[in-house]
Amino acid sequence: MNNLLKIKKFVATIIIMMANIDLVSGQNYPSDFLRSTGKIYSVALVIAIIFIGIVFFLFRLDNKLTKLENHIKNEQ
Amino acid sequence: MGVKGLWWKVAGVIIFIFVLIGGLCVPLRPGVTSSQPANAKNGDTLFMNVIGYNTHFSTAQNHRAWLKLDSIHAIAAKDFFGKNENEAVITFYLPKDLPTSAKVRPLTLIVDNELDGAFVQPNALFLTIEDNPTHSSSSWTQADLTNLSVASGLKFPYRNILNETIRNTFFHVALWFAMFILLIAGLYHAIMYLRTGDYDHDIQSASFNRIAILYGVLGLLTGSVWAKFTWNTFWTTDVKLNMTAIAMLIYLAYLVLRGSSADHDRRAKLAASYTIFAFIALIPLVFVIPRMTDSLHPGNGGNPALGGEDLDHTLRLFFYPSIIALSLLGTWMASLLIRYERLKEKIFLKS
Repeated sequence: MNNLLKIKKFVATIIIMMANIDLVSGQNYPSDFLRSTGKIYSVALVIAIIFIGIVFFLFRLDNKLTKLENHIKNEQ
Repeated sequence: MGVKGLWWKVAGVIIFIFVLIGGLCVPLRPGVTSSQPANAKNGDTLFMNVIGYNTHFSTAQNHRAWLKLDSIHAIAAKDFFGKNENEAVITFYLPKDLPTSAKVRPLTLIVDNELDGAFVQPNALFLTIEDNPTHSSSSWTQADLTNLSVASGLKFPYRNILNETIRNTFFHVALWFAMFILLIAGLYHAIMYLRTGDYDHDIQSASFNRIAILYGVLGLLTGSVWAKFTWNTFWTTDVKLNMTAIAMLIYLAYLVLRGSSADHDRRAKLAASYTIFAFIALIPLVFVIPRMTDSLHPGNGGNPALGGEDLDHTLRLFFYPSIIALSLLGTWMASLLIRYERLKEKIFLKS
């Protein structure tokens, strides 16, 4: 219970900090961040998707190998 | 595994890092984002507010600008005032007399300075013609459109709407090319399996196909993101999108088919035959049908794809290495799957 409270406090602090960064920097972000001039962030999103795809492959292979390892262990 | 088997994996990683750094750090050429007003009448004095991208309107010295009617008719700007690097006011005196009798004519804005080179905004201004102008072209032929500056350094082309997303060429488009190379590898091993009956070819064929399908799904997702920021929708009824989706569904059915039968021999034969069918179906779906109708993709509906302005030499410098890098990384992933399947085969044959 105490832990949960701590986590809640931590999350609240992070949110407040993030809100403050926006205020402190004093920049007027465009209404849509990803559509801001030049649309460079959509390129970042595309690269992120490719990275996530490769990570997805790694997770699948990891799972498969774990199963194979367990199979070998059970046999011995 | 020694160094011998490692070099191509390292090469793939290094080339991909080269593409990432180069593809993201090379700046775009200057361009015009927008210009106001969009309409004017003949005889007007026009103060055109131009917003540029990557331009040097205040640091450059020798500014010139033109409004171009067609290949021989243009007028030069009377005055150029750079408010800051990216904003300028260009003054034009639009002549009363015109070389054409059309009611409305689109004019192309050309801006030139020694730092940015020459760049163009097509259809920047629509000229409405009123008060029965005299048909004379004398005031439209004096613009000196020669000695245009050329910007130095490596820069990617500036395209309206595309803007910085032109860099996605190295990731989204190259992903499809790499997918195709992996599918060819899968096809080769499928044919080899049918010819020799060697079960190892089946394993290789399936592994290459799986990674190719992963690339295909990533290609659809990245294309969808790109479309959202250029065509403003995640999915359009563009032929190429729908045909590719069908091709991907055919390949997804391959995964289901391969997982459906417990009998090794039957499964391998089915999968190999299906691979050949799916690859043959892919060619008309992706390469033939989209070319027969209009499409938003370059290379379709009569546009040249890999020639002309769509893929200039600065883009090629990173586009071709990206295909090689993604193919090598894909082959690496496929080889991991192949090694896993071989191990599994050995262990299950023992027990």
